[in-house]
Formats: sequence, structure tokens, C-alpha cells
Amino acid sequence: MALSTDYKITWCPGCPDFIIKKAIEKAVQELITKGYKQEDFVMVTDIGCNSKIYDYLNLSGFYGLHGRTIPAALGVKIGNPKLTVIGIAGDGGTLNEGLDHFIHACRYNTDITFLLFNNQVFSLTTGQATATTEEGFMEKTHPSGVKEKPLNPVVLALEAGATFVARTSSLDLGGMSQIIQEAIVHKGFSFVDIIQPCIVYHDTSDFLRKNCYKIEPMDLPKAIEEARKWDYAPQGKIPMGIFYQVKEETFEEKNGLK
Amino acid sequence: MRYNVLIGGKAGQGIDTLATLLSAALAKAGFYVFNAHEYESLIRGGHSYNNVCFSDKPSFSYDTKIDFLIALDELTYELHQKELTEKALIITSDSKLKSKFTDDRFIFVDSATLGRSSNLALLGAFTKILGLDKDIVLQGVRHKFKEDKATLEVTEQFYGREYTFNLHLTKSEEKGEMFTGSEALAQGALDAGVQRYFGYPMTPATALMTLLAKKQSENLFVFLAENEIAAINIAIGCSFAGKISMVGTSGGGFDLMTEALSMQGMMELPLVIHLAQRAGPSTGVPTGTSQADLNVALYGGHGEFPRVILAPGDAEETYEKTIEAFYLAEKFGVSSLILTDKHLLESAYTTQLSPLNIIIPPRENFAGNGLFKRNSYEHDTQWNTSEDPVVIKSSSDERKNKLLRIKEEASKFKGYTLFGKGDTLIIGFGSTKGAMLDALPHLEGYTYLHLVCIEPFLDEVKKMISEAKEILVIENNSVGQLADLISGKCAREITPENRILKFDARPFTPEFIIAELHHRKRGD
Repeated sequence: MALSTDYKITWCPGCPDFIIKKAIEKAVQELITKGYKQEDFVMVTDIGCNSKIYDYLNLSGFYGLHGRTIPAALGVKIGNPKLTVIGIAGDGGTLNEGLDHFIHACRYNTDITFLLFNNQVFSLTTGQATATTEEGFMEKTHPSGVKEKPLNPVVLALEAGATFVARTSSLDLGGMSQIIQEAIVHKGFSFVDIIQPCIVYHDTSDFLRKNCYKIEPMDLPKAIEEARKWDYAPQGKIPMGIFYQVKEETFEEKNGLK
Repeated sequence: MRYNVLIGGKAGQGIDTLATLLSAALAKAGFYVFNAHEYESLIRGGHSYNNVCFSDKPSFSYDTKIDFLIALDELTYELHQKELTEKALIITSDSKLKSKFTDDRFIFVDSATLGRSSNLALLGAFTKILGLDKDIVLQGVRHKFKEDKATLEVTEQFYGREYTFNLHLTKSEEKGEMFTGSEALAQGALDAGVQRYFGYPMTPATALMTLLAKKQSENLFVFLAENEIAAINIAIGCSFAGKISMVGTSGGGFDLMTEALSMQGMMELPLVIHLAQRAGPSTGVPTGTSQADLNVALYGGHGEFPRVILAPGDAEETYEKTIEAFYLAEKFGVSSLILTDKHLLESAYTTQLSPLNIIIPPRENFAGNGLFKRNSYEHDTQWNTSEDPVVIKSSSDERKNKLLRIKEEASKFKGYTLFGKGDTLIIGFGSTKGAMLDALPHLEGYTYLHLVCIEPFLDEVKKMISEAKEILVIENNSVGQLADLISGKCAREITPENRILKFDARPFTPEFIIAELHHRKRGD
């Protein structure tokens, strides 16, 4: 079965979501050639532009509630550990509405892959600031600019015990697909921070194109130090790649789930 | 005969353990026993007590008049002395009470040196006074403390002493074992084949999680999630993956779950929810009983979708309705709510649980078994997101019609029971059943309609209520939520005078009901 459905795509023309979709398809396709079964993949999505991917891919899917992708994905895996579960959600759902779930999932180390479509803004609701929007960003609900500092989900994931933590750029199809594939293959909770411009409400395309540098996996203290180097403001340089990866017993293994 | 024992002391003194062991021994000796636990929201200290009622006739409640007071501290006597009958025996281990009595109705059990085992000394003493068989008593202690020698010795030592009274109760054939509502619920869930249970600690729902956690196996996994929102989303995820899934919580936790309850309505993935009522609103009285969450059970969650609400009234019924809840959830892809209350869950009833002849329908479609999609958005029949008005209307129709199909199936089970015979119909639900059944023999002219299947509202029930000469509704809340529901369903006004309401976080007792009905009859 082809991976893409013929459902009409309603992302804005030119949205990096198209590239992320391609990267996921490429990763899944390659994994299928390596023995993964298409019918074993389950995509659990949130609410937001990112999650429309539910309708666009021929994979089993759970189009859940805003902010609740992680517990639903956890549930699917706990329900049947043989499934390959990919959670997809944006920065608003993950770090505003459902932050508690994100921290606990890192701690549980359930063998799921979690892709954060991090465009640093609530897009589908027309451009409000999220927990990763930079200080000073102006939008309708913050007419005098955002006054809070953004949250760094990579640091958070590392501190909370995630066993695979990576960041990638939505503008780099090849790199992104490679990291998604490695995240899926990793046994344990894999977190991928996908930095993404929203070309309508938070366009960081130029900055993102010019300011990334590649990193290699490192030990935990170094990874945290490295992750702190970029604070989600459109300035400085963004480390990209796998920050940290470690093999630890998964939730399913610890609980003898079959 | 019907005797009431009140056992009281500080939390941590083993009050509930003593009451549970006493109840088990009485049940073994052939009595019908009812054991209710009242306690405060604290860990050590305060005042905690059990009402144990035993009788040679079926008994589902306790009376507030006390025939035997077992006081582990002075405060227990102070708080409950006004409830003592004239001939009541007072058995205490607190020497401070000694000076207060001169007559032989007061029995001092000198167990001060025993510390936390003092409760077992009182068990030994009291069972001797009752004249219960020593082996029965020791058997219970042995079972509870897993052959611990010291506990057995204390009980035996105090049973061995001589007391000024011996009631020589006559032993008869055993009527059943003691089951709390929570235990019956757990057994029902296990017999229905529950595979995943998720929760977050909240009185009085926690006991079920604890009981199921002990029974974990290759088939059953129990997990305490980070909060109730996670618990229900995880459960629905498990259901998506084909597992028989359940969550449990109380009022506030259920509020947190309602967004996902609504999602369940859209996704049609089977789910069983245990909603354990306690006194609210807000944090309310965590350890107090109440029936004030009927409305949130009926109407919680946004949008319109079908659900099942079953509200059992005693341990046996809880067991049966739990299995039916799983059956209906799995058959129709619906949320089945088992609506209980603190008094039902934490009281122990003399019960025989007999397996039901219900086969939970096996799942055909789930993730991992071909392409499987479920959508929280409105969707077409292939589960693709849709904003098409035709699709929206037909999907809404489908959800609405499902309730009719559920109703047809649910009416095959016992959705209500009638007790007694009279022109006035008293309607109640949940744990009220116990006090009503024990009150009925003392009343004339009443039929008690114990409503169990609340949603869907059965046609038979509607007919019966519509045709009744006079109606009274009895419930543990301050506005009459069941009365409002009945009013709406049966187009019959139920005036404030026709609502018997109790909302002091304590259960109904037969005395309360009898007095209320007498007042009403006299018109004062």
C-alpha cells in the first residue's frame, strides 16, 4: 500500500510540513525494506497543522486530543508492544497543554518515537505564542510582546531521562529522515525536536537555513551543556543532530508487557 | 435479632482490621453481617470507626443505635455515648474510661502493653463475649496475618480469659463471605477479563486499583499514571490496540477525564470507567459518601454521544453490573460508567458471588490487525476527517441511534429491582438500596424501585414511574439529581416535598428513612 493517501492536503503551500511528511515517509519506507511491517506502524497525532498528517498517510492512526498525544501513544504501546508507535505533536500541544505527559514519558522510557513539530507558534489558531516562542515576539494576544523566556524541550528531555534526544531541521529532508529513522529504531523513548518555520506566523526560514551546525552524540552533562547553547530565539547557532543516546530497559521490558 | 456494634479509635489503631476480622467471624458463624467504615482524611490519630451490624436475617445496613461499643480510646465513648442503647455493653482498652463506670455493662480489657495489637486483644475478648467459635476467630486472624504467631497468641490469650458476659450466640449455616463493594468490583472486572487498568490515587476509587494491582499477571497490567488525564488517554490508547481497558477515579478526577470521555464517544473505542462518588463539590469531604455526581456522569463531556451508566447497590450487584458494563462497552464501543459511592465501596456485605453467563464479545478490529484508524475529529466511515454537513449529520445520527441499540441490549439485564408492595413508589439508586431494604419491613404502603441502569433509561422503568400513584425519590445529595432526571424522562413533576435527601456525607440508615416517611405521612 502506498504510504500517501489521496486525501486533499490543506497545509499552506510551501509549509515545511510537506518536507517533514516526506522525511517520515522516507524513514518508514526504508524501515519497511529492513523488515518493519507497514501494518505495525501506528501514528498518534495531536491537534494542530502538524497532526493533519493523520489523514495524509496510510498508516494506522489515532487522531487524539490536543496535548494528549503522548499518553495516547503510550497507551497504544502498552496495549500492544509489538507495534511501532510514532507520536506527532506541535510545541503548543506538547509544551503548553500537555507538558506533564512529556516529562513523564521521558522518565517512563516507553519505546515510542516522539516527533515535536516545533514551529514556535500556535498556527492553526492563527499565530499565538507557545512555550517555545522567543521573548519579545508580537502577536494579537501579546500586543506588547511575549515577556516570558522560552522553554528548551531538548534540555528538558535530557534532564527528565529520555534515552534518545535529537534535534533536526525541517528544511533538511535527508538529515531529518535519517534522524527519524534512528529515533524509530532506538529502543526506548526517542525525542526529536524538529525546528520548523511557520511561513505565515513565525517565519524563521532564513535564520534556520544559515545557522545550524552538526553535532555527534555525547555524554549527558555535555549534551545538556550543548543543548543550552541555543535558546530558541532567532539568533546564535543551532546545534543539530543526536545529543544523547543510551540503552536502558524500556517500560515494556520492565513491566513484562507482551 | 439485629445487633449493632460500633468499633472506634484513632486511625492507626487497627479499627478497620478489627471490624473486618469480627465481620468475617460472624459471617462464618452464619450471620448476615454488614460492616461500614467511617474515617477522616488523615493518616494517624483523629477518630475512625466501623459500624458492624449482624443479624439472623439478610442485612444491608447499620443502625445508629449501638448495642456494643468497642472503644479503643476515650474519645470514641464521648462521641458515641448518646447512641448507646440502655442495655449496651461497653468494651474498652482505654484505662481512662475505667473511672466512669461502676456497673457490669462496662468491660475493661487490659491490653495497654500490647500497643498496636490491642485491637486483636479486643477481638479475642469480644468474640468470647459473643460466644463465637474460637477456631473461626483464629482462622480469620491466621488468614489475615499470614500465620504470624504473635497476633494469633494475643487473640487466643484474650479469647481465653473469662468475662462477665457470654451471649452464647447460636451458630448456623454460612450465608456468604464478606465482600466490600470495591472487592466485588475488582472481582467483576477480573471475571470480565480486564487487561489494562489505569488510575491516579483518589479516595474512594483507589481500593480498586490496589486490589487489581495485586492480581497483575501476563494478561492484566495496572499502572498509576501521572494524572487522570493521562490515565484515560492511555486507557483509550490501549483499547485502540485491542485490550480490554478500564480507568477509575472519583469526582475531581472524573472532571479531568471528561475531555477524553467525549473523545471516546467520537472514537467509539470500548472503555469502562469506575466513577466512585464522594462528597463534593471541589475537594469536598474526601472520605464521606455522596450521590451528587449523577449529573456529571450523565452530562460530563462536551458534545453529544452515547454512554452507559450502571449504578449498583450492594456487593453482589456490583459484581454483576461490572461484568455487564464490560460487555456493553465491548459490544457497542461505548464508555460504560460504573457509578458507585463511598458507602457501597467501603462497606462489606455478606455475599455469594456467582459467575454470570456473559461472554465478552471478542474484538475484531484493532491496531496491528490491518489498517486501523480512529479520529477525534468528525469523520467519514473510513475515519477520515470531514467537515461535510452530510457526513456530520449522518455520524451524529449514528451516535444517537447507537443509544437505542444499547437500550435494547441493556434491557435484557436486570436494570432495576422492585422490593415490597405498596401504592407509593420510592425510587433510589446505589448504596441507598441497603438502608431501604432494611427499612421496608418496618413500613407499610411502599414499593422500593431500585434503579440500576440509569443510562440508557429503560422504557419499562419509564412506564412504571409514569403509572405510579405516588412517587418519592430518595438520594444522597442536596438537590435531587435522580428526581430531576426522572422528572424529565417521565414528564412528572417531583416536588421538593417528594424528595428524600441526605447530604451530610453520611449514608442513609433504616432509622432515618423510617422517621422521614412517618413525618411525611403525618404531614409535619
